Amino acid sequence: MTQVVDEKVKSGATVTFEDVTVAYGDNTVLDHVSATVPAGSATAIVGPNGAGKTTLLLSLLGEVSYQGKILFRNSQTENGAVYKPRIGYVPQRLSFDRGMPLTVLEFMVMGWQRMPLWFGVHAEFRERAMELLGFVKAEQLETRRLGALSGGELQRVLLALALGQEPDLLVLDEPAAGVDIRGGFLFCELLEKIRQTKRFTQLMVSHDLATVTHHATHVICLNRNVAAEGHPKQVLTNETLTAIFGLHMGLIDRRAMPEGGTTCTASCCNGDCRECDQSEGRRSSVRLRAGGSGMLQSEKAESGSEENGACDCGCGGHGKGDDA
Amino acid sequence: MIAVAADMERETMPDLMDLLSLLPKIIPMECMESGFVQRALFGLVLLAPMAACMGVQVVNFRMAFFADAISHSAFAGVAIGLLFAANPHWTMLVLGLLVGLSIMAVQRRSSLSSDTVIGVFFSAVIAFGLTVVSHYKNVARDVNQFLYGGITTIDTTELWELMALFVVLMAFQVWGYNRMLYIGMNPSLAQVHRVRVAIYQYLYAALLALVVIFSVWAVGVLLVTAMLIVPAASARNFSRTAGGMVWWAMAISVFSAVAGLLISTQPWADTATGATVILIAFLCFLISAGVAYLRGDSSR
Repeated sequence: MTQVVDEKVKSGATVTFEDVTVAYGDNTVLDHVSATVPAGSATAIVGPNGAGKTTLLLSLLGEVSYQGKILFRNSQTENGAVYKPRIGYVPQRLSFDRGMPLTVLEFMVMGWQRMPLWFGVHAEFRERAMELLGFVKAEQLETRRLGALSGGELQRVLLALALGQEPDLLVLDEPAAGVDIRGGFLFCELLEKIRQTKRFTQLMVSHDLATVTHHATHVICLNRNVAAEGHPKQVLTNETLTAIFGLHMGLIDRRAMPEGGTTCTASCCNGDCRECDQSEGRRSSVRLRAGGSGMLQSEKAESGSEENGACDCGCGGHGKGDDA
Repeated sequence: MIAVAADMERETMPDLMDLLSLLPKIIPMECMESGFVQRALFGLVLLAPMAACMGVQVVNFRMAFFADAISHSAFAGVAIGLLFAANPHWTMLVLGLLVGLSIMAVQRRSSLSSDTVIGVFFSAVIAFGLTVVSHYKNVARDVNQFLYGGITTIDTTELWELMALFVVLMAFQVWGYNRMLYIGMNPSLAQVHRVRVAIYQYLYAALLALVVIFSVWAVGVLLVTAMLIVPAASARNFSRTAGGMVWWAMAISVFSAVAGLLISTQPWADTATGATVILIAFLCFLISAGVAYLRGDSSR
């Protein structure tokens, strides 16, 4: 089910950050960030607080002015032509007036339907909205007031709204925040299924390493500049984590996962970690850089990623060892 | 557009008079026989739904302070009219429009919070108005009009202007209501999802400024915000959907406008029309709050 999407049939946008710098006055939030979000990937941006994760996302969305370039390409524009992708955005916290009378159905169609909602929702748009709500398992919320939804429900509805954009690129800010671990896990499971059906590129910001290891196929470690980039298993080593977070955080214990994490659905695992270790190890290139604050010794890091044959995603059973 | 309306007025004036003379037949009351009550009623019936519609967005997007600032710019508008010996009616409209668009422009660019931006403009226009008015001592009539409004002194030219504004504003609402809802939820989200936020915001600010200035004319500066938000706030309590809220707001607004005017012109009452209208609207709000409480969603 979670087969890594074949290079040839990949769709979705490729995003290239080239020397992106954002400064608020003297405070440099992003310092010459260069990174790539591969087409069809589930890319996660990780990093400590204040690392500029959200700023990078806002630059991408055009909400923050920046120096440098952010380029979008897709498989149809293979010759390198740049295009403007359709972006779906799931914000971290939607600050809105919760007392406002607005049903979930009205919320879904307000971007499509021109006829004012005073005259009701057109059958055609309702059908489309219900299909999207079905994707995120939220059909039953149709007539509920948006303000009365729980955090998890609202998040799924926001995802449905973003999917309604038919995105080439789905951008999520902290998808696991505001819901409990189980809720976040289920949300990411759902997201992964949808991504593989609809074939878009997914870019998320997360500080939750469990989410990242389970659901990302590509990781960008950010701490004002890019400290490391590549497959989660190669990038999220103890060395890199220590380098960007300062303190070693480790990866989440597998016992915290639903059903004891016996069925790992992470993209990296594919049910057999040993096998995917080998293939992934060859395919993805890991880039490690000495970060300004992190002072990562690249020699040590390289040897670390070589010896690190174990699956760090906490799936259990398949890895050669739990930790290096 | 307003100039066109004025031209039309000269040609079609009899039609409007015919229309007005129908009113006593619709509402068979003694007070309806007089021309000024007819004009006032017609003016209010045009203004009330406009204020209600715009009010829905004012309430949902917490823009009451914005409307307040524009309404107070009417005072500076009167002052400019004095300075340049121009008709205060026009200077109020132009200045209101300018203030509305400037606030929106600064708000979109500045990192200051929106109430700070509005507060700065608010105090500037009030200070300007006070400075000028304090220099001219004999402006009591204009200032009174500004404070209490004078819907009963509305003339047919103003009615034509109101009708033109009514058409434009309702067209905007029909065209943009859903997208305005999107922007009201979260402008960034709307922008990313390809809603042209800037156009809607500027158009909305301009139309709101015009409605507010006309409302100052009708009910006075003290009650403008009430005219916008009381019907919409009641509608919020009654309605469970964003679509239904508009109908509720319009119904409450028109009802309170008509009832307020009729009561205020009765010999036994003889009250200020604007204030009476708002009081009726407030009664509707009390009922709506009761309904919301009984339904048990007061806490949400």
